[in-house]
Amino acid sequence: MSDTAGGNAPKPSSSVKLVLLGEAAVGKSSLVLRFVNNDFQENKEPTIGAAFLTQKCTLPTRTIKFEIWDTAGQERFASLAPMYYRNAQAALVVYDVTKPSSLTKAKHWVAELQRQASPGIVIALVGNKLDLTNDGGESAGGSRSPPLEHGSGEDEDGEEEEANDVGGGELPDSGDARKVSTREASSYAEEEGLLFFETSAKLGTNVVDVFTAIANAIPESSLKTGRGTAGAGQTSLGNRSAEDARVNLGERNAATAKEGCAC
Amino acid sequence: MISLSSFVQKASSLIDSANFNLPSLSSNDDNPSKASLFRQQFRLPDSQNPLQEITAELILPLPSNTSSDSADGSRRVDRPGNRYTGRLHLSERFICFSTQPTSFLPSSTLSASTSWTGQTHGTGPSGNGFTLPLSSIRRVERLHSAREVFSLALTTWNGMLNKTQEPNFAPQRLILQLVGSRQACERFCDCLKKGLREGMKEVDNLRSIVSDCYSEYLLSGTKAKDATDGQGRQPPDAGLGMLFRYPGDARKLRDRSKMRLWGEYFRENGRNATLVRQPTFHKLIRVGLPNRLRGEIWELTSGSMFLRIRSPKLYAETLAKFDGQESLAIDEIEKDLNRSLPEYPGFQSEEGIGRLRRVLTAYSWTNAEVGYCQAMNIVVAALLIYMSEAQAFFLLSVLCDRLLPGYYSTTMYGTLLDQKVFESLVEKTMPVLWEHLTKSDVQLSVVSLPWFLSLYINSMPLVFAFRVLDVFFLEGPKVLFQVGLAILRINGEELLDIQDDGSFISILKSYFSRLDESAHPRSENPKLRAITRFQELMVVAFKEFSGITHSTVTEQREKHKNAVLNNIESFAKRTSIRNLGPESKRLSVDDLGTIYDRFYEILYHWEQQQKLADEERQRNEKKKSQRQSILGPPVDRQVGRVGLGPSPTHMNYDAFRDFMAATSKWAASDSPAPLKNDPSTSGSWRGNAKASLWANRRQAADHEFMQRLYRKWATDPDEGLSLQDVVTGLARLKGAPDIMNNINYFFGLYDDSGNGQVDREGILKMSEALLFLSRRGFEGTITATPSQDEINNPRGNNDEAEQSRLTTDERFLGSVSAFIRRCFEYADPSHPDHQRAGFSKKTEEVTEKLDAFAIGDDDEEEEEEEEDLIDISDDKESKTAPVEKTSPQPTESISPNRPRSESANPALDPNNPLHITLPTFRMVVLADELLEQFFESYFPQSFHLSDHPHPASVAASSSLSSNLTTFSKIGRPSASVTAGVSVAGASGGIVPPGKGLRGVLDNIVTDGIRMAAEVKKRMDDAQRDLERNALGHRDEDDDEDDEDDYPSRQGASAAVMAGGISSWGAGAYGPDPERRSVRDADRDLLEGAEADVISIRPTKDEGSSEDSHGARPPTVQDTEVVSKVVEFES
Repeated sequence: MSDTAGGNAPKPSSSVKLVLLGEAAVGKSSLVLRFVNNDFQENKEPTIGAAFLTQKCTLPTRTIKFEIWDTAGQERFASLAPMYYRNAQAALVVYDVTKPSSLTKAKHWVAELQRQASPGIVIALVGNKLDLTNDGGESAGGSRSPPLEHGSGEDEDGEEEEANDVGGGELPDSGDARKVSTREASSYAEEEGLLFFETSAKLGTNVVDVFTAIANAIPESSLKTGRGTAGAGQTSLGNRSAEDARVNLGERNAATAKEGCAC
Repeated sequence: MISLSSFVQKASSLIDSANFNLPSLSSNDDNPSKASLFRQQFRLPDSQNPLQEITAELILPLPSNTSSDSADGSRRVDRPGNRYTGRLHLSERFICFSTQPTSFLPSSTLSASTSWTGQTHGTGPSGNGFTLPLSSIRRVERLHSAREVFSLALTTWNGMLNKTQEPNFAPQRLILQLVGSRQACERFCDCLKKGLREGMKEVDNLRSIVSDCYSEYLLSGTKAKDATDGQGRQPPDAGLGMLFRYPGDARKLRDRSKMRLWGEYFRENGRNATLVRQPTFHKLIRVGLPNRLRGEIWELTSGSMFLRIRSPKLYAETLAKFDGQESLAIDEIEKDLNRSLPEYPGFQSEEGIGRLRRVLTAYSWTNAEVGYCQAMNIVVAALLIYMSEAQAFFLLSVLCDRLLPGYYSTTMYGTLLDQKVFESLVEKTMPVLWEHLTKSDVQLSVVSLPWFLSLYINSMPLVFAFRVLDVFFLEGPKVLFQVGLAILRINGEELLDIQDDGSFISILKSYFSRLDESAHPRSENPKLRAITRFQELMVVAFKEFSGITHSTVTEQREKHKNAVLNNIESFAKRTSIRNLGPESKRLSVDDLGTIYDRFYEILYHWEQQQKLADEERQRNEKKKSQRQSILGPPVDRQVGRVGLGPSPTHMNYDAFRDFMAATSKWAASDSPAPLKNDPSTSGSWRGNAKASLWANRRQAADHEFMQRLYRKWATDPDEGLSLQDVVTGLARLKGAPDIMNNINYFFGLYDDSGNGQVDREGILKMSEALLFLSRRGFEGTITATPSQDEINNPRGNNDEAEQSRLTTDERFLGSVSAFIRRCFEYADPSHPDHQRAGFSKKTEEVTEKLDAFAIGDDDEEEEEEEEDLIDISDDKESKTAPVEKTSPQPTESISPNRPRSESANPALDPNNPLHITLPTFRMVVLADELLEQFFESYFPQSFHLSDHPHPASVAASSSLSSNLTTFSKIGRPSASVTAGVSVAGASGGIVPPGKGLRGVLDNIVTDGIRMAAEVKKRMDDAQRDLERNALGHRDEDDDEDDEDDYPSRQGASAAVMAGGISSWGAGAYGPDPERRSVRDADRDLLEGAEADVISIRPTKDEGSSEDSHGARPPTVQDTEVVSKVVEFES
């Protein structure tokens, strides 16, 4: 509502709290780094608790400022996660396309979010490390590194075959590290009503698209306006309206959220 | 001198020492034990216990060249030397002295340079005094003074363990005046003497550690020692900093002059293991440690040095022992090695990374419960800049076990708890800021969590983080809180303007980056201008928040502990319940919650028991215990909650028994006090009622059945049962409340070979299990069903409920007895002669066993039953009895009337005659109303879970019970599909349990078509036979289908009862013709039932009149069987 009121401003700006969840070393931080700085580091410092970053995302009608909480992936940090996804309007649940167990973990996160996070949270399921697969790897110009930490010690329980017949009819290629088929993940995402992407933080494939899609999926009414940009001038009154908006969001989307709940 | 107060002291010391000698039995209380407080106070290893305690005065001779201490000495210079009054403590290997906080006046003479040291000065957990390993004491003399004072002079090894003697060296000598009765003093001295003798053994350890201390190196040189001294011995390893430079500008940090001050302090007060803490010590730490001594002082103040003295080779040994092995922790460590303090050059090199890898790996092996947690890499990397690998290894273990308890555990409860504590302290000390944060919906802990988790190392510039660490190791965790509060206080005004997490974080980020700038850049006063923001932070932290003490933190931790643990536990619970897999969906969420709570309750109970047992053992072999718990989880570590971290995940058989005892009445032992009449216990037994849980828990019984259940449930019986195993096990039993499923399940428990057969032994065991399961009564599940028995039985529903229950129990005994006999009957012997003998012998045995279970008076019971018998059965009995003489088994294989059982039992091996198969077992069970009810409702319902079972299971169970209570009902035209399906499934017998309804239906169709003709024929036979037998009320069948079946069924089952019970009375098998006949009638009834069942679906078009003859075939069979038997025998 304030979006329309501020019509004289070039573009209404609003901030969205987004949280990244997923197994350790699936590339959550790298996705964020790619999105925020368009950069990639092989040795990214592990996230202690959570890292906080912001980045603007410009849509035709408005600007969204993402407040990104990038959480630690190590299993034992899971119990800290509720602290970070509290009040989040969007979540990126990341898995590694070369590691089936990471999709299982991602499903757990989705279930957790659907039950415990604010109702109406927009969830995107993201399969990262597309560069290690054939469909993403070729564009890397042959410079992609071998799947060091992902290739070994995986349970080879028939996932491979499935992966092969999905990769767009490609021949079974020994260089393809993909273990989670696009179809498997996308049909799960569809069932649960999630946005779905496969990305490569290393190559930048689809990264911005994920955030743009999330920005588009956030209902306009639920956006807190100008929280980040207005800065110190904001009064607690404005804050209250933001909270009200959040409540509205909850009511509006409660039905969709419930429908997607697995258990 | 010896006044009343000293008496009081004496008394209290007596009481205390008495208490102290007790093992830490109270460790599972919420309050830490005295022993652990003692260890905390003096930073002692977990093997130490307070043995003696006495008030004493420490007299330190004034050093010859008093320069630095003159300011402090001015406080009490009435006698020569510094005197401190405090408590002297003695543990197995240590003598410790600390000033009581009240006995030491906080130094009011704060010079400008140390003004920010604040008032906490001297009140850290270590206080002033000393913590000396007994091995470091060279000599103890009793001083004969004029007055009645008990004085001891301790001479230490200080400076004498080195090969090279320092010039002007004087041995360190401490004088202690004990204050107490002569007796108390003597006792203390005796104990000390004993300890000293023990301590001698460790002198070599001490020597090896001490000679590696940088302080020794520092003092061994002459006064003219240069930083660049190449001659003499190599300096000991003081961390990566020696190779890659220490962070910060040494000149700016005034490293050289700090080193000089420390040298002086060491010379006067002893060094490393023999250091005496005086006020200067605390001050020197507050101004920041010099680089090369930092590691050693950290080691000393944290107490990790004592661990290293105890086992100097542990680090190297651990690495060697696990060399080449892999673990999850190692994988995780490997991922983080390249990203731990990457800005420090040492960690861009293989040398630094190698050290980091080794320390983290070694620790993950010694404390597998913690393993590796992200953030440890950062902390250890920081430590390694200043210490050797071994030093860092021991310091890390002190960090994890004592200073940051639970921070890095698998649930990280310590981290979360301290965040709660921090929040509540902020609320208390800065209410305005707190209110603003709450209003702006900013969660403080998202900002402060990394501060605590990585000890400010990745929040502040390294040089400042290390200054915080200097104080942290001396004064303990409260320092983290004080610094955190000070950060918020200093930035308070700016923080009041923030609106969201983002601005909160950026304000603090920029604050941390400017810590080296002047705090008052515009001040006129140059002295004030010289104060950096970091100094300001320290002043605020330790002066303004001096009220935050160790006990504040402890208190707050206690206060929030439960809430935090509950949070974690509910998170863990909902996560693990959600991840239990599809099987678990057959149970309600409440049920799963109950299982979860009960499972972990019992696991932790067992863990506690284990711990107590271990302690007991330790006490018994005290010598050995000295070597224990050098590292790893502390002895008095609290266990008992999921939230506390690494949980045992598997229960062994004994724990499983406890679990079952809490779940099912029958699993409780009879021995001490059978809690017969409290089904409520199990029902109300939820997670919340933890306190009462073990108070009124039942003793667990042990029975072969439970062993079988355990093995059935366990994925790997050696490993134990996981929660998943238990849930899956229960879900299969309770989740599908279908009688066939339950019967199959029960059979499966005894199908040892997995080939679908249960042998003679198995049959007997089954029957024992049935009695075992039923020995506590049926909790109303069986009698509650409006069975035909009760409708016809006048006692069934009348006011004497107890009476009727008893009756049910006793009748059930009969059913079990009949069960055995039927099982044997239906098992096909191919060598009947042999079989015959073995069989009757077996039966005798069993009968004897059964006798032991009998409750009531058999004879009387029998009579009562007989009264209930319906005349048909009596008639039948009398008719068939005389003919029946041999075992009827042969008939089964030969009889053309049994194609059902044959087709259903293709695996029936004629060479193993005493095997029964699942279909046979089903038949036998279904033949008996009580057994049927037993499997239908009692057995699954005897597993008590929550009060809110899965709705589906309730619905299904009720529908089944209405349709399946008796066979007669199946004959009704209105028989529901459910009933038809289940029963047909039973008779089909080929349906694997997992195959589900679909499979059942398929089987019915195939079987049905094949059988239809046969059944029809049998029906006709039965009809004819019935007419021939001319039993009066059988004639009614044409006009009254439903009613017709009741009496016949009733009669049969009553007959079974009577037969069973009389067989106990008779003991021997042969000479009771009546019983034999009953048995045959039963068997034939079974067959009739079977035929009946099959007829339902495929012969629909034949009309209901056909179905109604279901109960008829027995009579036909009867005669046929009898004739066959006779033939066989002749």
